[in-house]
Amino acid sequence: MKKNITVIAISIVLSAGLTFAGDMARSITLPDIKVELKAGAGKDKVETLCNICHSTDYITTQPPLSKAQWTANVNKMIKVFGAPIKEEDPGKIIDYLTVQYGSGK
Amino acid sequence: MKEDFSRREFIKTAGVITAMAALGDMPSSLFGSELPMATYPEKTGLLVLTSRPPQLETPMHLFTELITPNNALFVRWHLANIPLSVDLNEWRLKVGGNTGKELSLSMADLKKFEKISYTAVLQCAGNGRSFFEPRVPGGQWKNGAMGNITWTGARLRDILNTAGLKPGSVDVMFNGLDSGSLPSVPDFKKSLPVDKTLEEDIMVAYEMNGEPLTMLNGFPARIIVPGWYGTYWVKALSDITVLGKPFEEFWMKPAYRIPDNPCGCIPSGTTQGRTVPINRMTTRSLIITPSPDTTIQKNKPVEIMGVAFSGGYGIRDVIVSTDGGKTWSEARLGQDKGKYSWIQFSHSWRPLKTGKYTLMAKATNSIGDSQPFEKLWNPSGYLLNNVEKTEINVI
Ligand code: HEC
Repeated sequence: MKKNITVIAISIVLSAGLTFAGDMARSITLPDIKVELKAGAGKDKVETLCNICHSTDYITTQPPLSKAQWTANVNKMIKVFGAPIKEEDPGKIIDYLTVQYGSGK
Repeated sequence: MKEDFSRREFIKTAGVITAMAALGDMPSSLFGSELPMATYPEKTGLLVLTSRPPQLETPMHLFTELITPNNALFVRWHLANIPLSVDLNEWRLKVGGNTGKELSLSMADLKKFEKISYTAVLQCAGNGRSFFEPRVPGGQWKNGAMGNITWTGARLRDILNTAGLKPGSVDVMFNGLDSGSLPSVPDFKKSLPVDKTLEEDIMVAYEMNGEPLTMLNGFPARIIVPGWYGTYWVKALSDITVLGKPFEEFWMKPAYRIPDNPCGCIPSGTTQGRTVPINRMTTRSLIITPSPDTTIQKNKPVEIMGVAFSGGYGIRDVIVSTDGGKTWSEARLGQDKGKYSWIQFSHSWRPLKTGKYTLMAKATNSIGDSQPFEKLWNPSGYLLNNVEKTEINVI
């Protein structure tokens, strides 16, 4: 599937982030959006491990979830999607998420 | 032309509430309720739910037109590696599996099939999820994960018949150019039962509103399943694979499923038992103007306007109330663009007293399905279609 995606060398910039090379090729550049997580114990781990597969606005836009819901979420990331989180880390991550982005309980 | 959007720029665009939230002065319940706005390639300013992969929501005030402009249509990808460049010299749509022959179609080949075109609502399965009570995890869409677009392309059935379905075909699976950042992330593949794929109106679209698809909406081609939720409308399509057994990978099971009962709902906060893949859209109507919390003048005429659609059955009527549901009048319906399109409704009104008013609209589709007054609930936040209330002030 990768072979369908080519980097276009010669191109004309038409509008923000969109380029055409002839009629046949198109490419876009996404804006670089930075997400700032709230300060707190465990932030570093979340910033590193929860950023591998998606941006952390996946976390910041969630409603205030309970500890049980954040636990289920982190377990899903590990078991279903293969998040490389070591045995000892989930607890700290779940505590951070529950305190900073959860209902606190 | 790379644009840098820092948190600070969001604050400028999204206004005071976000600014205060970012500074930590806001109660946590409000934090995150105001989304930043950003301009993505080929798009006007949209609300950013997530940035990588992009999930961008259309602000409600952009739904005043019958046809949603391409640059306003919402964006929803699942996996971080979305196609950022596509060269049609190399892109091919591969069709195979349980078929008589394998096809490898270029865009020129695709355009040789009979061209079909119709207007259809594209709506995310989770549109309105942020209004669920109790709240549920997942993309926190308001009502802007929808749009009404005229799609043009080839009939899926014609493509499948050219490849030739072999006996024993059960499901047809669709894959696109996107992929996860780690190999352990299930690839975003969706399937439809073979009978569904042979329906006349299922399309492989290469145009939206007469233009090539925007990159973020699935250039160069995507599946259109009119009347069904957007989860099946696989973008940046690369493979169509006919299977001799049911397709049950992650994005079909356990993802994107609803309780197996007529309402697709269960008592709030409970656990679902048997499920089925989400499919047809529920009937909805949304008041677009006046928008919530608008202030209008006593004795001045106002046009209450909105859009209504269903899961492919058209709209029979829309009724409107200006007194919180005590009395109702039938709204006028706009141009009919067919059973998959939304229809605009309008109701002329002149408020005679000052005070707060609750506007409501309720649509019924051509087979008699309508909207519940109470919000129904399921744990994934799908199918939301209650009669909504728009509170406004008259002075
Ligand atoms: C191995 C890849 C991977 C890693 C690492 C990962 N996630 Fe995810 N996450 C996903 C995928 C895939 C989705 C589904 C994306 C979609 O549907 O848009 C997702 C979705 C989510 C969602 C949305 C709710 C849902 O269930 O779809 C949240 C919240 C979330 N992740 C939090 C986290 C947190 C917290 C971490 C760090 C502990 C994390 N993720 C690490 C892959 C990952």
